[in-house]
Amino acid sequence: MATLVQVEDLRKEFGNVRALAGVSFRVEAGEWIAIMGPSGSGKTTLINILGGLDTPTSGQAIVDTVDVGRLDESGLTRFRAQKIGFIFQQFHLVPYLTALENVMLAQYFHSTTDEKEAREALERVGLGDRIEHLPGKLSGGEQQRVAVARALINHPKLILADEPTGNLDEANEETVIQLFRDLHREGHTILMVTHASSIGSLADRRIEFAHGRLVQVPASLKSVT
Amino acid sequence: MFWRLLWKLLRGSSGRLVVAILALVSGGTVISALLNLEFDIERKLTQEFRMLGANLVISPGHDAAQMPGDAPSALMNESDAFAAIQNLKDPAVVEAVPFLYIVERAEDTPVVVAGTKLEDLPKLEPAWRVEGQWTSARDDQTPCVVGRNVAQQLHLALNSPLHLSYLGKTAQLVLIGIVDAGGAEDNQVFLQLPEVQSFAGLSGQISLAQLSVRGTARSISDYAARLAAALPSYEVRPIRQVTEAEGDLLNRIRLLIVSMVLLILALTALCVLATMAALAMERRQDVGLMKALGGSIARIVALFMAEVGVLGAAGGFVGAILGVELSRWMGQRVFGTAISARWEIFPLTIALMVAVALAGALPLRLLGKVKPAVIFRGE
Repeated sequence: MATLVQVEDLRKEFGNVRALAGVSFRVEAGEWIAIMGPSGSGKTTLINILGGLDTPTSGQAIVDTVDVGRLDESGLTRFRAQKIGFIFQQFHLVPYLTALENVMLAQYFHSTTDEKEAREALERVGLGDRIEHLPGKLSGGEQQRVAVARALINHPKLILADEPTGNLDEANEETVIQLFRDLHREGHTILMVTHASSIGSLADRRIEFAHGRLVQVPASLKSVT
Repeated sequence: MFWRLLWKLLRGSSGRLVVAILALVSGGTVISALLNLEFDIERKLTQEFRMLGANLVISPGHDAAQMPGDAPSALMNESDAFAAIQNLKDPAVVEAVPFLYIVERAEDTPVVVAGTKLEDLPKLEPAWRVEGQWTSARDDQTPCVVGRNVAQQLHLALNSPLHLSYLGKTAQLVLIGIVDAGGAEDNQVFLQLPEVQSFAGLSGQISLAQLSVRGTARSISDYAARLAAALPSYEVRPIRQVTEAEGDLLNRIRLLIVSMVLLILALTALCVLATMAALAMERRQDVGLMKALGGSIARIVALFMAEVGVLGAAGGFVGAILGVELSRWMGQRVFGTAISARWEIFPLTIALMVAVALAGALPLRLLGKVKPAVIFRGE
């Protein structure tokens, strides 16, 4: 398998706070990686840098041959549109757009919209009958499934999920996790931040963080802490 | 998708946008009314200015500009002056009236007698108020009109007889009108010009001619120059106080209107600014998300600017319609006649309101600086 993500001595500081203190690892294409650790350990910061939402203070974060830290604002915008699919704990759907329009929004910012494809994406996550519903009329699980459909619509190289089941009840959590299983089986590369060991155990590998450093990496991963 | 998003943005924030659209409609209404008024103000005001009376004088020369005395030192030929006016055929001339002034004695009191065309005075001096009438159909008596002060001083009432004497001649007149001119004319006695010319032995002679000419101070001066060229031996001059007052008033009203328009534009922009600032705070989350999804700053800001532009155009259009109606109402109230709608008002008001809305949307432009990671951290 080819390396999709390569992180080398990645550091991020917010003023005097060191969020990432020299992190290195690799992710092969098609892998499902669970990123675990206590709150404030740097998990979300890592996801944000890999997704081009934030920039590192130093070090390298290479995703699909692109060094994210070297991109300017417009480069980061293109990078996010073309290579990344985000799934957030808070869903982050636009409240005045329907489920269909929320998916099409990602298409719009990527290139051109295709309503048929967006409908199919929603049908695929089991929301064929909720297409015209506003987020406020959907349950938490349904909203997260819309977010999954939106993340996949542009066929991203990397899916970054930050606590995707953190706001869901058990039944909805199971539905969403099943979607991730399916995505993994189809060959998608997934980096998922989670607190839940049960979900972490479903991943190919786990990376554990503490105080901005990797504290436990499977033998197959190269790490520098 | 752009228009779909635009529509959803407008609908999604309709509550807050109502405030902005109300501000834009209100601003557009007042601005279009003022602009419509401004475009028509010159025509309306020059009509109004004719209420002020004569604004051009033809006289024999500087000496005759003084009030005539017992023996007029300088006179001019009535037919020469009026032939020149006729020849120029300028439709701006509302009225031209000859005057011959002599001083006679009425009941042993010296009074200035003005020989003129009594029937033309109401058109020359629309503001003068007359108790009684200017002319009489009876040919068995010599009618006269006296100024208010003369009537008081000589204790005259309508239909009173009035005896005038001039250089040993006497005339028996009947008072048919008392005029309240609010000026020196209140001290004068008005007779038909031929009566005075005959009485004074000055047939065909006049002291001066007064004209009421429509137009701006410049157009009146232009007309005066053409008339002066046609009457080289006479002096033709605008009555400065009147024409300058007209020009000054017009300029002041224009300045007032422009100032009001600018003030209203600024106030509308401030109102839109306040609304958009609140809207920008509400939309930080959406903008953060749009940027996370790969939306470029230009594309996101263009979406919001288009939204504001639509608001401005809608506010301007509705405002222009209401403003034209408002200006019609103002025209009726102020000038007594309707002010016609000018089609230029619509694109101008819409353009101004779009510009104001875009200026007031400055906070939305700042959304381009939103950092998604910061928004998602909840900061």
